[in-house]
Amino acid sequence: MSSLIGFLSLALAIGINFYLLISRYVFKFQKQRFKFFVRVSSLLTLLSFFSLMYAYVTSDFSNYNVFQNSHSNKPLIYKISGTWGNHEGSMLLWLCILSIFSFFFSFTKNIEENFQKLTLIIQAFLHTLFSLFIVFTSNPFLVNSILVDEGLGLNPILQDPGLAVHPPILYAGYVGYSIVFSIAIAGLFQNTDNEWLYVAKKWSLISWTFLTGGIALGSYWAYYELGWGGWWFWDPVENISLMPWIAGLALVHSLMMVRGEQAIKKWIVFLSILCFSLSVFGTFLVRSGILTSVHSFAADASRGIFILLIFFIITGFGFLVFLLKEPKKSNTLNLLFINKVSALVINNILMIIATLTILLGTIYPIIIEVLYNKRISVGGPYFNSTVIPIMIPGFLLMSIAPILSWQTNKIKNSKKYVLGFIILSILVFIQSYLLDFNTWGFVGLLLGFWIVLASIIAIFSYYKVKLNLKYFKIINPHIAHIGVGIAIIGITCSSVFQNELDFNLNEGDKFKVNGKMVLFEEVETTNQINFQALRGKFLFDIEKNKSKKIEAGKNYYPVSKMITSEAGILHQWNKDIYFILGDQKNNEWFVKVLINPFVSFIWLGVIIMVYSGLIAVTRR
Amino acid sequence: MSLRFQRLLLILLTLIIILSAVLLILYNARENVSYFYTPSEIDKSEITINKVIRIGGFVENDSFNKISSSSFKFRITDEKASILVNFDGILPDLFREGQGAVIEGSFDNKYVFNATNVFAKHDENYLPASIKEDLKNTGYWNKKYK
Repeated sequence: MSSLIGFLSLALAIGINFYLLISRYVFKFQKQRFKFFVRVSSLLTLLSFFSLMYAYVTSDFSNYNVFQNSHSNKPLIYKISGTWGNHEGSMLLWLCILSIFSFFFSFTKNIEENFQKLTLIIQAFLHTLFSLFIVFTSNPFLVNSILVDEGLGLNPILQDPGLAVHPPILYAGYVGYSIVFSIAIAGLFQNTDNEWLYVAKKWSLISWTFLTGGIALGSYWAYYELGWGGWWFWDPVENISLMPWIAGLALVHSLMMVRGEQAIKKWIVFLSILCFSLSVFGTFLVRSGILTSVHSFAADASRGIFILLIFFIITGFGFLVFLLKEPKKSNTLNLLFINKVSALVINNILMIIATLTILLGTIYPIIIEVLYNKRISVGGPYFNSTVIPIMIPGFLLMSIAPILSWQTNKIKNSKKYVLGFIILSILVFIQSYLLDFNTWGFVGLLLGFWIVLASIIAIFSYYKVKLNLKYFKIINPHIAHIGVGIAIIGITCSSVFQNELDFNLNEGDKFKVNGKMVLFEEVETTNQINFQALRGKFLFDIEKNKSKKIEAGKNYYPVSKMITSEAGILHQWNKDIYFILGDQKNNEWFVKVLINPFVSFIWLGVIIMVYSGLIAVTRR
Repeated sequence: MSLRFQRLLLILLTLIIILSAVLLILYNARENVSYFYTPSEIDKSEITINKVIRIGGFVENDSFNKISSSSFKFRITDEKASILVNFDGILPDLFREGQGAVIEGSFDNKYVFNATNVFAKHDENYLPASIKEDLKNTGYWNKKYK
């Protein structure tokens, strides 16, 4: 029943959207009625999504999708989040978020009516494309042809709270760029004044903030769930999410330039189209199964071709409009040597090149295979040694860019900065020299600390401290940069100074980690609702009274006959101690302990970035 | 400063950055890219010792040997040829005899491969597309691997 409701409302929503799309030529709506239909179609899509969720929650195995991906003894939270733990459901989530964005956009005030309408028509166009894709290649409402009373179960790797938050937030980021895309195209068609740039700014900030949060949640999930002890693997899917993120960052920064007199509209439009194209391109690469990764669900060629088609339609349409309808000439740029505008221009160039480098590395294996019929893999080392050097000048620039002036060459208080930089360099140099000297570590730490320090100097020497929203809005760019600086420190420490220890232990053995005694108590198996848990129990720092318990082990899921690793992590503010339980022979267990210094700084940095994204969105 | 000069400066700067990016990419594409083979392709081609490559195939039945809790020996096969692999560390959760796996590492000598990384397939129904194609080509293709 719920499947039927879901499918019908999905189909009805397509009908409405198609009608909105052609309404321009066939039958002109009144403005208010037009918006009404937009909202109705959004609510219908939402209803469709919730009826799928209802089928999951009630374990309605007459729905083929539920039968394939769910099991009645799963905890409730995984029944809910299992809705998007498969290809069909995740595409419906994608569509649902798209229509939520249209819904909210239809409420935007202070915007020209015709312009808003045109934007919503383009949204309706996107909605129609994606919902046709869902109906024809990945319908989640298919009826199960056999009668069953039990489902096949959800992939155990996905049975984690991470699934509940990571995909929706990440998708909100990806799909949010659809609004930015529509705004930019509508802006090209209407060619009005600069007002649409302010609207675009708000929505691109929202998308970017979601994307940042979504990527960080995903990498935190990978960190504790996959049990490799790292949080970023340069997996194709990670690269794909990074590309619209960097392009979106460039977009947000170039929209800042609108604040000065000169707007580079053309570039902004280009970036807006690029961001959404990269999002769709990412979906294509993941869903088509061309790239292999944790995220690819069962591959299906017809889906890949369909999404490729959508990608070409959207990108082709976008860039075609871009070429044909050039924005009106705005004032030319004033690139004096050292001012804010030139800093932003350089930052944009660097970011786009970084995006292209990642893109190249990600699709390089495909190109080589097609051309030479040889298979290669491009891994972390390639990305580390190309992307990071490209980004370094940008990082250097961002430490001082916010205090450059829009018009002149002067930097106030330059002495303070020079002095600060010299002292900091010496301190970091001494510090790295006392530990093992490592070039990357030195560069990373210096950059990170310098960005934080320069931003703090700027905040205190330029603005009077006040505790109101206006003050927080003014210092917001600096706060965002402090977040980046802190994240860089965390990234550098945790990747360069990671320490790995291997042990072969019997139960009851004691061993030393980081100068603290650890007791390997015992290995225990317990039965949980839908899995068996094997846990090695450790007591950290037994010489003190307040010793901490750490459990690391594996889960065995009988439904899907799969094992997942469960790392035991002891979080401290300055380091994570990461326990992995390995194999055993003759009651001797292999235990790997990783010491990841300052991982918490990465998450702290991201939280600061998300915070400043939110502050930037709020109205003045 | 004249507009022309500014534009020139901008273009020059962009070119310099692009040039350095290209140089970086070219350099790294040579150094940091690893080739992917199946066991039967290895036998034919000349083995370069200590060059990092990846090998994809299946873990041969009855070949898995646990030397200690952290050191393993097994053979990886595509039914035409098989290669002896040494691995120290923690095997992925889905590593099993008869299942698909990709190993990364280098040859110690002509016969023994030292793996630094072992990747097992992530899903019962899922096999990397590249391996699938090879297995179809070599005829070792079991229907149950979708």
